[in-house]
Amino acid sequence: MDAVAWRRGRLSLVLLAVAAIAIGACTSGGGTTTSEAPASEAPMSEAPMSEAPMSEAPASEAPASPIAGGLLDKVMTAGKIIMSTDPQYPPQSELTAEGNYEGFDIDVGTEIAKRLGVEIAFETPSWDVITAGSWGGRWDFSVGSMTITSPRQEVLDFSDPYYYTPAQMAARTDSGITTLDGLAGKVICVGAATTYLDWLNGSLDFGTESPQTTPPEGATATTLDTDRLCAEAWRAGRTDFDGWLSSSTTVQAAIDDGLPVVAVGDPVFFEPLAVAFDKSGPDPSDMVTRVNAILAEMHADGTLKTMSEKWFGLDLTEKQG
Amino acid sequence: MGIGRGEQIGTAVAPGRVHQTMDPIVDQIARQRSRKQVRFRLTVFGTWIVLIGVLIGGLWLGGKINLDFLRQWQAYILGGVPLTLVISASSIFFACILAIFGALGRLSSNAVVYGVASFYVSLVRGTPLIVQILFIYLALPQIWQGFAGIPAITLGIFALSFNYGAYMTEIFRAGIQAIPRGQIDAAHAIGMTDRLTMRRVVLPQAIRIVTPAIGNEFIAMVKDSALVSIISVQELLWRAQTVGASKFRTLETLLLAALVYWVLTIAFSLLQDRLEKRMAESDRRI
Repeated sequence: MDAVAWRRGRLSLVLLAVAAIAIGACTSGGGTTTSEAPASEAPMSEAPMSEAPMSEAPASEAPASPIAGGLLDKVMTAGKIIMSTDPQYPPQSELTAEGNYEGFDIDVGTEIAKRLGVEIAFETPSWDVITAGSWGGRWDFSVGSMTITSPRQEVLDFSDPYYYTPAQMAARTDSGITTLDGLAGKVICVGAATTYLDWLNGSLDFGTESPQTTPPEGATATTLDTDRLCAEAWRAGRTDFDGWLSSSTTVQAAIDDGLPVVAVGDPVFFEPLAVAFDKSGPDPSDMVTRVNAILAEMHADGTLKTMSEKWFGLDLTEKQG
Repeated sequence: MGIGRGEQIGTAVAPGRVHQTMDPIVDQIARQRSRKQVRFRLTVFGTWIVLIGVLIGGLWLGGKINLDFLRQWQAYILGGVPLTLVISASSIFFACILAIFGALGRLSSNAVVYGVASFYVSLVRGTPLIVQILFIYLALPQIWQGFAGIPAITLGIFALSFNYGAYMTEIFRAGIQAIPRGQIDAAHAIGMTDRLTMRRVVLPQAIRIVTPAIGNEFIAMVKDSALVSIISVQELLWRAQTVGASKFRTLETLLLAALVYWVLTIAFSLLQDRLEKRMAESDRRI
């Protein structure tokens, strides 16, 4: 009698385990879609795509016949464009508590999609994956404040710049450093795969021109995953580097947040930031032409300026320096 | 009377009943022991509470933790827990399937089948899991473009299953080999074929033997699932890290993520304990 009882108990236990695993496996499909849903819905609530027919963008006439199999063709057929964004980078891109995205780049990307007449969705690969190219069609374009550089142009196609940010050197407050030269021989922290790293290494090249400034004598670079971690490392009390080079907007955000950071000297260079497309994917040439037309329009009608003032508090859409 | 007592001692094999029939002194010693045990457990529990209180209270009193920030973001960060669990559960499921085939291959007398199985186990166990995940996400699409169309979460589950399948192959192999040779001989003697022996005699017992081990692997998987955050699967760690980095608040978010993993691990360990006891119980009754 005992034997039968434990046999049944054992059987039901095994069945329960199998059922639990099976349920887990079944719901995984559902989990995938729900996890991505908020991302694609985010911009919809801000700018309903259904009310943005192509006729709203008269100045950006489509090229006579998009190359069959080109990126523009692919996006128009799908009715959706997927944008890569790095939500660790406010005010360009960050998460809201509801899990949506917001920021300057998000607004620009959403506006481009709206004027293309397609919906927008977001992917969040890490920065070095975006700049490395070979996206494999996982996302269609990057509106990620990417600087146009020669090495990146080998794998990516760029639009015209949509705004320009000053690169600002900063120092740890208690380091006592107040000038750019004060960082001579010091270690400077930058985000991985950034133009700030290239500048420190003396290899920054915008393609048509190069910055005229040179790094402090004998300064060396160290990298963290993303720019902001440098400032956070200082707050945590780390002293293994004294300088931090990032965009002036990021440096200002850190200062506003009460981190032990001071801006040092004038901006060391101004970088042209553009929309990027993958060269290894469907031919992006039509798309570049189309996006350039849309950006020119957004420059002309003040949309970009309004967005810049909303997120940065100043107009960064004109070339400076 | 005397005979009755003698009979009782003779039949009192169940350990739980022994001291009831013994002298009062023995009874007292047993009670003292159990009281000591209870006191020990209570002290351990108390120490835990104090340690947790000191850790969290210290950080909070030191003004290091911004509770308002956590309150604002906890819903979003904790929203990654279901995904973490779904990834872990489905990865363990597929890993089990891989492991069964892996184990049968490792026990096969066919040299090619054995070769394939041992190659799989060696390849996976000889490379870091994080390399496997990055390779599947970044490198494979460059070999075959179609791979890029697969969502990152599927690739993450694939990488975890592929990895754990190899480790669990050894667990399943041990489970199958734990069945005494005599049972297989006996099955053959009554005319069962190899296949039938495997299905009716070996596998049912082997599955019971490895079930607690699968539970262990699941607990390890819950923690390793954090690795798929590097291919931008938006599970618990990805959410914690992204929120933390962009708001300069990694202390709060990583602390929250660590606590959640810890609580999950404790909860599943308790389940695992019960499962293991249950399995051991049936062994004892045999």
